[in-house]
Amino acid sequence: MAFLVSVPFFASDYWMTLLVLILIYTVYASGWNLFSGLTGYTNFGLAWFIGVSGYVSSLLIADHKFFWLLAWPIGALFVGIVSIGVGYILLRIKGVYFAISMVALTEGTRELFGTEYLEPITHGGKGVPFVAGISLSALYWSILLLAFMTVIVCYKITSSKFGLRLMAIREDEQAAETLGIHTTREKIIAFVLSAFLTGLAGAIHFTYQNYIDPSFGFTIHLTLTPIVMALFGGVGTVFGPAIGATLFTFIHEILWAELTILYMAIFGGILILLILFFPQGLLGWMKERGVLPRIRKI
Amino acid sequence: MHNETILRIDDVVKKFGEVAALDHCSFNIEQGSITGLIGPNGAGKTTLFNLITGVLQPDSGHLFFKGEEITGKKPYEIARRGVGRTYQIIRIFPKMTLLENLVVVGKGRERRVMERAMELLQLVKLSEKKDDYASDLSFGQQKLLSLAQVLMFDAELILLDEPAAGINPTLQNELMALIHRLNEGGKTFIIVEHDMGVIMNHCQNAIALNYGQKIAEGSCSLIQQDERLLEHYFGR
Repeated sequence: MAFLVSVPFFASDYWMTLLVLILIYTVYASGWNLFSGLTGYTNFGLAWFIGVSGYVSSLLIADHKFFWLLAWPIGALFVGIVSIGVGYILLRIKGVYFAISMVALTEGTRELFGTEYLEPITHGGKGVPFVAGISLSALYWSILLLAFMTVIVCYKITSSKFGLRLMAIREDEQAAETLGIHTTREKIIAFVLSAFLTGLAGAIHFTYQNYIDPSFGFTIHLTLTPIVMALFGGVGTVFGPAIGATLFTFIHEILWAELTILYMAIFGGILILLILFFPQGLLGWMKERGVLPRIRKI
Repeated sequence: MHNETILRIDDVVKKFGEVAALDHCSFNIEQGSITGLIGPNGAGKTTLFNLITGVLQPDSGHLFFKGEEITGKKPYEIARRGVGRTYQIIRIFPKMTLLENLVVVGKGRERRVMERAMELLQLVKLSEKKDDYASDLSFGQQKLLSLAQVLMFDAELILLDEPAAGINPTLQNELMALIHRLNEGGKTFIIVEHDMGVIMNHCQNAIALNYGQKIAEGSCSLIQQDERLLEHYFGR
């Protein structure tokens, strides 16, 4: 930890940038896992959390001259609050229908933010370029703190009764309900928490990019990449998504640098192999093999 | 000694399309009793369980638990009032440990919940397997775990859907003995069972359903002599 905190004092900008990305994706993958990994409701709309919060915070900084540290939590709170309503409506839909409805929500929001009607607020399809006036070091420390907090939250939840109730929903929702678990409420709480943490990382992400537009803010990659990372590390585990994010960002970096054209094809191939042979992910596999103890705290 | 009604079913109708799974069904269950619910396949027994637990809503009629109306309440609300059930096809949480399967439904302080979960695992003789996944248990053991889950949230009325089916006689005897012990401790049971031996040996009363209608009700010995029931149920 001390090492990670001291990184800005000696590392090059290249390494800092790579670490920032790893940490952002750690929050995305952990945030996705916190809801989907535990409840079994596959969220294909992670980009919606990221884009909405990214937009709100970016617009606050660009148009209303908010200080970044204030704009970020406002963006995250905004998407968190809207998620209460979204969750209330969509979380009664199960399985693949929930997944599709979240894709539809993301795509619909992307279209909406790009229309001329909303141009006075969102700048439409032109996008929002802005400078937040934050140093790379400050940005790094912010995302490091957030990633650290996210993993702690995941750890606390996974080893709590709340976490067990979420897993019970994943295992058999109707049985959970007849055993006295208020499944709707538990799902919404987890959904909103996931939205808030992911949204906070999204706000930092677009501040780091100094730019957001509809196709950039709501791209399907922002949904798929974290899911693949979580799958790779171990769905439903505490540290799996963080490990997945780290390894995958490196693999991505190498592949992208060496094989720009084939990159997406190889990426897709890895994904298929992963799901076929490695469905429980790295940590899940190690737990099953007895390399790691089979406890919830890992 | 026990004369209070714990569950009242009042003129309940439930249709699936044109078919009435329950057709103006009414009866009372007394507190502290063990009642057998019998009838051929499709008679409406499981539908009745689904209505009592709020998984399904009746088209008309009313359900009362301990004098309070539970019609239209959500399953978790009914469970919290004290109605527990087990399923014919067992529905535990397979990729959770035995201990987690119980702790997850416990209410109150962490330490008390853990203690209670361990007590119940000992009661159903599964405490040595507390850290195993529930999916590793045999079918019969899963039934015991399922019953322990219901006890975990202190259900007063326990609905058992074919508790004796598909498990070996030793475990079956243990299970029935446990049900009697719990009954002496004040729990009320309604048991759906195809094995008439189980019903006759273990239930005080029985209710017979056919085509969603109650066709007989009374003490087990009386039921056994009911002509109409014999005709319907045994095809005589």
